[in-house]
Parts: sequence; C-alpha cells; structure tokens
Amino acid sequence: MSEIIKTKEFQLSIMLISFLIVFIPYFLDIPALDAVSTKLITIAALVNVFTIALAVSSLVKRNMNFIQRKTRGWYFKAYMLITIVLMLVFSMFGLETGPYHWVMFAVVNPLSSVNYGILAFYMASTSARAFKARNTKAALLLITGVIVLLYQAPLTGTVFPGIEPVALYLTDTFGKAAGKMFLISITVGALVFGVRVLLGNEPSVLGIGGKE
Amino acid sequence: MSNGGIWKTFAEYDRRYVYLALFIVVIGPLLSPIGVPISVSPSTRQYYEVINAVGEGDIVFFTLNTEFSGYNEIQSGIIASMRVFIENGAKIVIAVGHPEATSIPSMIFQDLNKELTENEYVYGEDYISLGYIFPNEAAVAALAEDFQGTVSQDWLGVPTAGTFLDEVKTWKDIDFISDYTTGLATTHVMNHFALRGTPMAVNCIGVMIPSSMNYLDTGVYLALLNSMRGGAELEYLTGHPASGLTAMDAFTFGHYMLIGFIVIGNLGYLMYTRKQTYGRGRKKQ
Amino acid sequence: MASPLFTIPGIIEGRFIGLLLNIVLASLVSYYIKYGKGIKIRRVPGLDAIEEAVGRSAEMGKPIVCSYGLDGFTYWTLAGLSILSHVARLAAKTGTRLIVPTGGSDASLIVRPVAEEIVKNAYLMEGEDDKYNPNDLPFLSGQQYAYVGGYVGIMQRTRPGAVIMVGSHYSDAMNIAETSNATGAITITSGSYISNVAALACASDYILIGEETSAAGAYLSDDMAQKASIRVQDIFKWLSLGLIIFGLLSYNAGSEFILNLLST
Repeated sequence: MSEIIKTKEFQLSIMLISFLIVFIPYFLDIPALDAVSTKLITIAALVNVFTIALAVSSLVKRNMNFIQRKTRGWYFKAYMLITIVLMLVFSMFGLETGPYHWVMFAVVNPLSSVNYGILAFYMASTSARAFKARNTKAALLLITGVIVLLYQAPLTGTVFPGIEPVALYLTDTFGKAAGKMFLISITVGALVFGVRVLLGNEPSVLGIGGKE
Repeated sequence: MSNGGIWKTFAEYDRRYVYLALFIVVIGPLLSPIGVPISVSPSTRQYYEVINAVGEGDIVFFTLNTEFSGYNEIQSGIIASMRVFIENGAKIVIAVGHPEATSIPSMIFQDLNKELTENEYVYGEDYISLGYIFPNEAAVAALAEDFQGTVSQDWLGVPTAGTFLDEVKTWKDIDFISDYTTGLATTHVMNHFALRGTPMAVNCIGVMIPSSMNYLDTGVYLALLNSMRGGAELEYLTGHPASGLTAMDAFTFGHYMLIGFIVIGNLGYLMYTRKQTYGRGRKKQ
Repeated sequence: MASPLFTIPGIIEGRFIGLLLNIVLASLVSYYIKYGKGIKIRRVPGLDAIEEAVGRSAEMGKPIVCSYGLDGFTYWTLAGLSILSHVARLAAKTGTRLIVPTGGSDASLIVRPVAEEIVKNAYLMEGEDDKYNPNDLPFLSGQQYAYVGGYVGIMQRTRPGAVIMVGSHYSDAMNIAETSNATGAITITSGSYISNVAALACASDYILIGEETSAAGAYLSDDMAQKASIRVQDIFKWLSLGLIIFGLLSYNAGSEFILNLLST
C-alpha cells in the first residue's frame, strides 16, 4: 500500500482530483460539488497550518545539530532556540498583556521597523546615484522622477497646484501601463506553471526526485 | 577651479552624506513639528467618500495584511479609517494576515479608546478581533465559502458564538472590506471576496501603489488610499490630526532633500564626470 | 457597465471566457510539451552579464553570492533554480567560491534540499565535487527581514565580486541590491515583483525584468516543459495585445463588443 502511495502517478492523481473539485464549481453551477469543494478547501487550510509546525520542528532539529557540533556561530542558534521556547511560554500567560505583548511591542516592532526604515536610506542613495542625465533616456527618467517626487511632497501641491495634473498623467499612463503589462505576464505565467505541475512536469514540486 | 574642486565633490560624494542628511531632515521636523500645509489628493477624497458611505450595522471586514514594519507606514490610514467606521456605527471584524500583526488590533483599540467609549462600542457586539487567520489562500477561500466552519473563536480563544459573527456565513454576508496591506493575503481576499461582488477599499504602502491602481481602474477596488500621505490627508479630511500629519513635515523635507541631492549629483556629472569621460571641450586650461 | 454577450445554462454567468481560456491554455501547454521539440528561445542578454560577473569574480579571486528567491515552489523560484544551476557550473569551472543564502520564508525550507542538490550536482558534473562546501549554502532564517540581515552580513564580510539575486524577492531586494553596490560587487537582479522593478533598475548593474528571468531559466535548463511555457505565454501575450488594440479601436468607435465578450 505504501508503495502505491509513494508513486508519482498516485500523487499526481490526488492533486488532479483535488484541483478539479475546486476548479469545476468555480465555472460550472453544480451545488453538490460546491459543497465538497468548500469542505476540501477548509481541510487544505488546516493542513497548511501544519507547515508552521513543520517549519519549527525542522528549525529545532537543524539548529540542535549545529549546537551539538559547536559550529561557527552556534551561540546564535542557541539564542534563537531559547527565544522560540520563551515566546511559547509567554503566550501561555496571555496575549493581550504581559510578556508576550511586551516582546511584540518592544522588541519585534522596533526590529521589524528598522529593517523597513533602512529601505528609505537605500532608496535615497540609489535615487541620488541613478538619476543622472547620462543620455536622452536617462534625462527623461530624471525629469519624470523629479516631477513625481515633487508632487509626492505634500507642500508642493499647495504652492504649485499645476504640478498635480502632470504628475497624475505620468503615473496614470506610463506607470499603469507597465504595471498592467507585468500583471498579464505574471498571471499567464502562474497559470502555465500550474498546468505544468498538474501534468507532472515539475517533479521537484512534489518532492519526488530532482531534475539533475 | 583646478582638479574639479567643488564639481568633483558633487560628482563623487560619499553615500553616507545622503544617509546623514536624510536622518537630520527627518528627525528635525519629527522632534519639532512645523505644520507644513498639505493638499488633499482626489484619490483620498474618493476613499473618504467610499468608507463614509458604510452605514450603521454594516459588517466591515477590517483586514490587516501587514507586519509591524508596514504598520508604521499605514498606521495613520488605519486609525483614521477605523474612526470613520466607528462613528458610522459599523460592525467591525478585524483579521490579520501575519503572525507579527496579532498585537496590532489591541494597539488600535487603545488609540481609539475614546471613540469606542463615546460610541458605546462593546467587544463581541460591535467589534471583534479574530487574529491571524490568513496564513495562505486556502484559509481565505475557506473563510469566503464557510465562515462559521473556518473560524469559531476570536484571537484570545473566546468562542464567537453569540456575537454578531453569527450573521456571517459566507462572503455574501460581508458588506464591506477595508484592507490595509503590504502585500500578503490581499490578492487572496480580492479573489475570494471582492471579485465576487463585495465592495473593497485598500490602503497600501507606497511601493504597491502602481500595481494596486490597476485594480482601481477595473473597479475591483472602489478606492485606494496611498500610503502614509493618504493617511495624513484622511486625518486632515476627517478633522482628527494625528501621527500622519505630524510626519508630513519630515515627508516633505525628505523629498526636497532628495531632489537636492539629485540636482547636486547631476551638476557634478555635467561639470566634472562628463568632461573627464568625453574630454574638456571648450574649457580653458 | 459590461454585460455578457450570451449565457450558457450550467456555466456561471461571466465565467465562460475564463473557462475557455483556461482550457485553451492547458491544451496548448500539453501540445507544446509533447510536440514542441523545435522551440527555440533566444539567449537573454542578462546571461552574458552573469557570465561576465562570474568571470570577473574569478579574476579577482572573490566569491560569488547567488540566491534563487524566498518563496516555495513558484514560477519564479524554478527560474531562479535554473539560473543557480548555471552559475554553480560556472563557479565550479572557474574555481570560484559560490555562496547561496537560503531561507526568507517557511516555504523556502521545502526548496532548500533541491537547491543543495542542484549546486552539488553542478560541482560533480565539472569534476570538482571536493570543492563543494555545504556550509556555503547557509539557511539564514524563515523570516524575511532576518534573512536580509544574514544576507547583508554575508556580503559585508565576504566582499563578493558578484551578487546574483534572481527569483522572487520582495522588500528585501532593495536592501540586498544596495548593499551589494556598496561593497563594489557587480549586481545582477531579477525584478519579479512589479513594485521592485524601478528601484532595482536603479540599484543594479543589470536587471532581468519579469519574463526575462523565466526565459533565461528555460534557455539554460533546455527543459521541454519550461520552453513550452514560454511559447504559450508568448501566444497569450500576442492574444492580449490583439484584444487590447481591437478593443481600443472598437470602443472608441462606439462598440462595446470586446468589453461584453470578455465579460461573458
């Protein structure tokens, strides 16, 4: 039995049946299938949540290995495992107040925000470096960038209202066109990828053998 | 000037001067606000009209698809929008799309404690926080098809039976979606709720604005609030100045500083780098 | 407001064209996988930039840092893995150290063994399996920003000659590209996320925009399925272009035919 379950054909069949159960009711009006589809989606949602448990167990196993072998930076791995256990314990004392809330608010919030805030500095130095009129195209980019930057500063709109229609024209035409093109490419790409997986042409996705 | 001089400095300045200047220009106005006037953009006016149309008793799905990092950018929009919903008497269901964001609803309720008290909002009767329920698309799809089957307790483990959530069975029972996003599950919420007809308005971070505008054009999003600036404009429109408006001074001067550095860099390029690359031209020796 | 041209009993209103397009797409993919042996994909210019970057790193004796993305098995990750395979082979051939930071999301745990296998095989095929070092594929973190911290740390310490960042990267991309630039490395990135493209175009020395990544992956892997995907995507792009142009002309002429057709 376990040999049959491990075969590529069996796994692909399960995937195909699950796909059809969810795909068909989206287009065809079949109430009975709709109910089955809803239940299957709920089951899938619950199964997916177990990936969090899988991730934690994988992290613990892996890092315990590093700690036992005392590899370079093993104390950082130990620190991480200690914080995982601590957060688990803290969550039992309540989520709204107490140590869990303090850690989220006083530790995670600033750390997360700092990484995000650094992006502003990087964007600034990139813009200052990249917006140079080296040739005609770069000059056009420079002019467009400066107009949009000026408009984004709230004060400019009050002092010089004429900039609004120009900036909005640039974002509503060129900006949106690029976004729409990207959206079409990505959507079709994702659909095609899905078809490839269903046809069994991506065994690595199922974890049933590498390609090389 | 011999050897380039000031033009060489303009062309080859260290990026750390940009970082230092940006730091000073942002910190200064935050510590000592100036109160720079702002103009309200058409998109913010449209957003305000859309959320203000939510009526008493309407069930609003308030989805926070953001981590703490993104929350700091769109916080002003979140607080200002929630205030509008509370003042209009809507029933609010808050859900988050990232494990970090589970504490954010408590912070929002703390900030809006006065409004919640004045409008006699009771937890469980008028608003409820479900916590992290969007780990992936399957969860969002399950919610849309069978809300009661997917979620049976709030984020503290208290059963939702007996609350106003008993009225919500599927996507059809949600009257409005107000999404605050850095990405995450917004597309899934759009696919399983908005594309089926649930009205949806979005407040996104700055980098997502160009891609989100496509959905605005097609009518999937009824309105789009643009990042921190949109939040500040909403605070101004609703007459409740807060952190967003305070940040606009820093926002404005940061942009102007950046333009200044771009101008300096270009002057350096034209007067020094270009001449080094293509020869001195008519310059006197 | 568009209204459907017609309705078919049994099919939910407004979804017939979607169903039709899905069936056509699936049929075309199957057809080209079976019969598309003659599909040729032109060499994407970005690949020359990658080879130049690897060559330069080899000359300077500096390592290469190459990442394939944060996500699980998505369209972009597979393209990133194909490019990683190519870079690994070049690195093995030139005797350059290759560092592959992994992680960034919980789903990346599933992709990691495949990436390890790809790099190991690349070194094996070049006969340099003794140079393969599993410690050069560190798993940094399952969280995006912690992954960025580790990635940036690796670049600051090792001072690579080239940083090749392909696959799906989100807000971490800017951090990585700018730090790479600051360390003086040649920076090659792929803009798989629309919001990143503009910023990465400014921060990188070379960028593979959107489809170029998957086309590069298909060109390098020579895999029939990937090539068939590129061909079908091209067909659908031409179809979209035709619909846009025809729709624009007909709408301006007063006809809502295309609008109603797409709403059927």
